[in-house]
Amino acid sequence: MKHPMRNPWIYTLFIAPTLILYGLFFLWPMVSSSYYAFTDWNGLENYRFVGWSNFARAFGDPDFRRAIVNNLIFIGFSVFVQIPLIVLFALLIASVKRFRGFYKTTVFVPSIVSTSVIGILWGFIYEPEVGPLNRLLALFGAGPIYWLAEPKWALPAVLITNAWQWMGFYIVLVLAAILAIPREIHEAAIVDGASGWQRALNITVPLILPVISVVVMLSIAGGMRVVDIVLVMTKGGPVGATEVMASYMVNEAMGIDPNYGFGTAIALIIFTFALVLTSLYQMTFGRRMQGGEF
Amino acid sequence: MPLKRAVPHAVLLAYVAAVLFPFVFVVFSSLKGSNVEIATHPFGLPKTWHFENYAEAWVKAKIGVYFFNSVYLSFTSALASALLAAATAFAIVRMRFPRAGKWIHQTVLLGMFIPGNVLFIAQYLLVMKLGVLNTHWALFLPYTAGALPLGVLLLSAFMKSLPGELEEAAIMDGLSSAGLFVKIVLPLTLPALVTVFIVNFLGAWNEYLLANFFISRDALRTLPTGMVGFRDAFQTNYALICTGIVFSVAPVLVLYAFLQEKIIEGLTVGSVKG
Repeated sequence: MKHPMRNPWIYTLFIAPTLILYGLFFLWPMVSSSYYAFTDWNGLENYRFVGWSNFARAFGDPDFRRAIVNNLIFIGFSVFVQIPLIVLFALLIASVKRFRGFYKTTVFVPSIVSTSVIGILWGFIYEPEVGPLNRLLALFGAGPIYWLAEPKWALPAVLITNAWQWMGFYIVLVLAAILAIPREIHEAAIVDGASGWQRALNITVPLILPVISVVVMLSIAGGMRVVDIVLVMTKGGPVGATEVMASYMVNEAMGIDPNYGFGTAIALIIFTFALVLTSLYQMTFGRRMQGGEF
Repeated sequence: MPLKRAVPHAVLLAYVAAVLFPFVFVVFSSLKGSNVEIATHPFGLPKTWHFENYAEAWVKAKIGVYFFNSVYLSFTSALASALLAAATAFAIVRMRFPRAGKWIHQTVLLGMFIPGNVLFIAQYLLVMKLGVLNTHWALFLPYTAGALPLGVLLLSAFMKSLPGELEEAAIMDGLSSAGLFVKIVLPLTLPALVTVFIVNFLGAWNEYLLANFFISRDALRTLPTGMVGFRDAFQTNYALICTGIVFSVAPVLVLYAFLQEKIIEGLTVGSVKG
């Protein structure tokens, strides 16, 4: 008798649905995107191959170049502004005993709320006439600022909303790494007379570099993928001030005059950017930060 | 010394206040009578409590419809995806087809490196070709498929750690591999299954991009897109919009209150392994 764990029929039955769904919704879209990206298909039957011209058109469009820069600003903001704050807050939470659970639970809350609801909520906070932010400014006599309607304010406003949404998630991630450090290490440092801040900077931070490196990777990926918050809050406006690559893609492909060929070319550009940036990071800082193996 | 101890708490409490303020503000505003009251007393309690805003939003803004759509789409796709991932994980780590198993594992995990929005247009064209655009299938299928890579990853790691003796004993007792899966492995995997289910559920509950473009019939909308439509329609009635926000955030917060450890674990483990 054959061993029951070698039954090929059961095996097929167990993996087939997953492979079919995965093939349909992951592999096939990758293949078909790579095909349509070189056509001018707009949903009608007739289309022709246009070579690299979709890509040339994208990079030739100042709006798209603006979108690329905005994606880089998203990444830069999370790496250079959010991450130091994330580490600081995680260190502070780890340093207290009382309320530690409360802090952890509370700061995590925004990461379970849908981005579209957060966009609506913060749109209200930024509202020029009745929004609480401008009401607060009015107490100091500062005049109404049209946060989401003025090009110079719109991007910072969206960046802050995005940071508010995701910082808690990363704080919890870093906090777990800090709490996993063996206590003996700290006790030895205390015996040596190291102060709290010295220990944090010279012992804790070096030990949690691997998780910080993960957070950097996730921030790069997140900065490349950002789109919901932009679509809900500003739709990429005013005059392209908050446009990111993905919102540009959606607006081009799903507008009144859909252009799927051009849109899929943008999708491939986003994919390539994400791949290149993460592998560049891995090859330079990432490997050094993960250290350990060598 | 007491001062030194108070400093971290002061900083953390300020941050917690910044995190919670928008929620509190929305709850207060949802119970206020008019925009004038919100504007003149933005930080205070309502003068009179307008609970009728909630009934009005539920009916007039069809929050009830969106809410029901979200609940049942998130529930069914999260469950389907968790079970399919469990079956696949069982086949590739427990059944004796090591080469095929390794190959399938690698292929499915590739999916975790593709940013979701890259596939967006191609998936749109796919659901159009399948003829399910503007039906709930257009969301159910990509939600279920989209959650598979992480599910397979987490569940196969978990199932690998189950002791092999159990399996031998069950087979000696005459169980088939399918029977073993249903009667022994699934119950043992329950903790990991719950984690995967929660992550899938939240992902579907919060999803916006596909929901916005794959569904255009109002009666089929889910909460995230319904809420945006609601905001655009009632642009000036802030109390009512805040009521809608409360409706869509409250269930998730209640879930979080009961399952915070599971939720935090599921979401963070998933991101690190990915």
